[in-house]
Amino acid sequence: MDAKKWTKAKGPKPREVEANQMEERDLASVIERAQGHDAEALGEIHRRFFRRVFGLCRYMLDSRESAEDVTSEVFLKLQRSIVTYDGSTPFLSWLMRVAGNQCIDALRRRQRVRQVIVEVEDATTIAAPSFNLSPLGAVVETEERAQVREAVARLPVKYRLPLVLRYYSELSYDEIAQQLGLQTNHVATLLFRAKQELRRTLAHRSK
Amino acid sequence: MECYSEQICARFVDGELEVDEARRVRDHLPTCPSCRKLVDALRTENRVLRETLQELPEKVASLAGLPAVRRSWLWGDLAVMAALLAVGSIVSAWINKLEVPGAIEWVNPFSLSGVTNLMFNLSDYLAHGGTAMLTEYAAVVGGALLLLLLGASTLLLGRRSQLSKLAFGALIVLLTLSLPSSALERRHAEFVAVPASETVDDTLSISGNTVRVEGVVNGDLLVFAQSLEVGGTVKGDLVSFSKRIVVSGNVEGHIFTCSQSLDLDGQLGHSVYGWIQSFRLSNRGRVGDAIVVGAGDVIVEGEVKRSATMYTGNADVSGTIGRELTMAGGRLTLTNTARVGGDLTARVHQLKDVHISDGAAIAGKRDVQVRTRQNRFTQPRFYFHQALWLAAAMLVGWLGLILFPGFFEACSQAVGSGWRSLGLGFAVLVGVPVAIVVAGITLVGLPLSLMLFALYLTAIYLAQIWVGAFLGRMLLRPAGSTKQEWLVALLLGLVILTVLTFIPYVGWLVRLAMVCLGLGAFAWQLYRTSRPPITA
Repeated sequence: MDAKKWTKAKGPKPREVEANQMEERDLASVIERAQGHDAEALGEIHRRFFRRVFGLCRYMLDSRESAEDVTSEVFLKLQRSIVTYDGSTPFLSWLMRVAGNQCIDALRRRQRVRQVIVEVEDATTIAAPSFNLSPLGAVVETEERAQVREAVARLPVKYRLPLVLRYYSELSYDEIAQQLGLQTNHVATLLFRAKQELRRTLAHRSK
Repeated sequence: MECYSEQICARFVDGELEVDEARRVRDHLPTCPSCRKLVDALRTENRVLRETLQELPEKVASLAGLPAVRRSWLWGDLAVMAALLAVGSIVSAWINKLEVPGAIEWVNPFSLSGVTNLMFNLSDYLAHGGTAMLTEYAAVVGGALLLLLLGASTLLLGRRSQLSKLAFGALIVLLTLSLPSSALERRHAEFVAVPASETVDDTLSISGNTVRVEGVVNGDLLVFAQSLEVGGTVKGDLVSFSKRIVVSGNVEGHIFTCSQSLDLDGQLGHSVYGWIQSFRLSNRGRVGDAIVVGAGDVIVEGEVKRSATMYTGNADVSGTIGRELTMAGGRLTLTNTARVGGDLTARVHQLKDVHISDGAAIAGKRDVQVRTRQNRFTQPRFYFHQALWLAAAMLVGWLGLILFPGFFEACSQAVGSGWRSLGLGFAVLVGVPVAIVVAGITLVGLPLSLMLFALYLTAIYLAQIWVGAFLGRMLLRPAGSTKQEWLVALLLGLVILTVLTFIPYVGWLVRLAMVCLGLGAFAWQLYRTSRPPITA
């Protein structure tokens, strides 16, 4: 019934929508099978999400090597942890959260610290509007995307992690705060500063 | 009404404001063009960020990340692998047939006698100025590498991939051509004899316990044996890994050997190149060209037509050396009957270790120098050499960074994995020479073994650069990763490493650790690059 409604809807690509729906229903069954330790289903999940997870790891960690290592750790652990997925959130967000945690673990292990980002400044002190730099959108129209990615990759960890978790993993401020062990307010500040830093770098480059 | 701050607007755009506050902002927007503009811009910014990040960050930073392996290369790699495997299977089948272990057990570093031999030889070598030779050797390799890199960089800076493909092809062709086209005769038994009545027209390869050659070999003679006696004639070269070698006949070419003892009683057309525990040229023996040996003991009673160069613990000369005698190591004795047609150069630890009898005739200059370790730090030459060495290393590092940025960076990063690099590096350090010998004793594998040897030396040289860069970066912790910062870190790391290696007693441990770490990182990185790129 639903499908019929969709095909009659004015969407320009009904076929694609249908395919997406199929994929989603399909995914549910794949996850279900994977939770029953079906190797083929786990392989299918790997195939579908490998790129996303690797991308996250690559942005969060500073070398391709560790990104590859952590990516395989994520999928190895998934074999056991997928049982805990209850379907209350989309699978991708869940997986992104898992992968993000794994990356933070790796960073902690490497730096031998409990917290990757330490809360140093009072989150409330910076509220000054900064109209002196135009937001990234304006800069980006003229910049190559690769340059933006490069600038992101070169951000200090404390700015990079929240930014990537927000705009790559699509986590909420609260979820990011939880992952990084910070206050939600501080996450907002870090994101704000991350973007400022990014704009500054890109503005500087385009000159 | 007052406008909202950018931070509030950003939270609003991200949907992270409390319901009430979000409503207030939403109500404010239609009345305020500047806030509306800001919110729009922030929305665009978020969209751009999302879209941009979705693409795989393959080349996020120019330094980090390895250059991806191209598809077409995979096929080439597979072809080469297949070829190598094919050659390898033939070679290994041949080796299996040889059943050499009994015969050359003493050069096998994994056996007990092999280990004791190795220990003995190594300590002897180190005790007698071998380290100095190693340093000189490394300097030569470094120089050659530098030239190679310079040449390669001028060639490769243009169209890199096509040229390297071409070079790769040429390499394969060379490998194929270098395979021996002439037949190789092989013999294997506990006791192998070529009787006086027999003439072998091909290159003869023999492995066994005791080998006796009384007849004539028109080609080269390759022998792996416990004991080898050559009473007949070898028209080509004699290549031998044997415990004991006695040549009482004629070898018209060269002798290349690694053995415990070599007694030369007969005639040798050209030179001896060897690594020998004990080398003796008897009074009936004659060398048509030169002697270049590293040995525990050298006794020269017979005649050497040209020069003699030896790194040795003990040298006794009572025969004739046509030109220069160059010696470095422990003791040197020239008896009354000794004749040296050129200069005598000796580098010893103590002056009293040189005994030159009054009757000994030396045509050229006598240059006997005492090498003392203490005073090298007071010589300006030492610092000049170090500076030169450092500059060369920096240049190599810089070229490597320009030509293979990803690989160099990744290698120096891989050093950071500590024990993995150290363990892997040690395995490579010990394992590769064994592989070189195994490949080398089969004639087919000789070019391969030479290439492997070159790669091995190169990697040992480069190890310091990777470890230096890693050390420097660890200490400096540069925020970015520009080439300039990399080079500054490299300089710092190299200086520290150089200083560390001159600490008495600990220096060599530092050097060993450095080589192991660098080799391990290199091997690991080679393994990683050889894996297919991530395309899923």
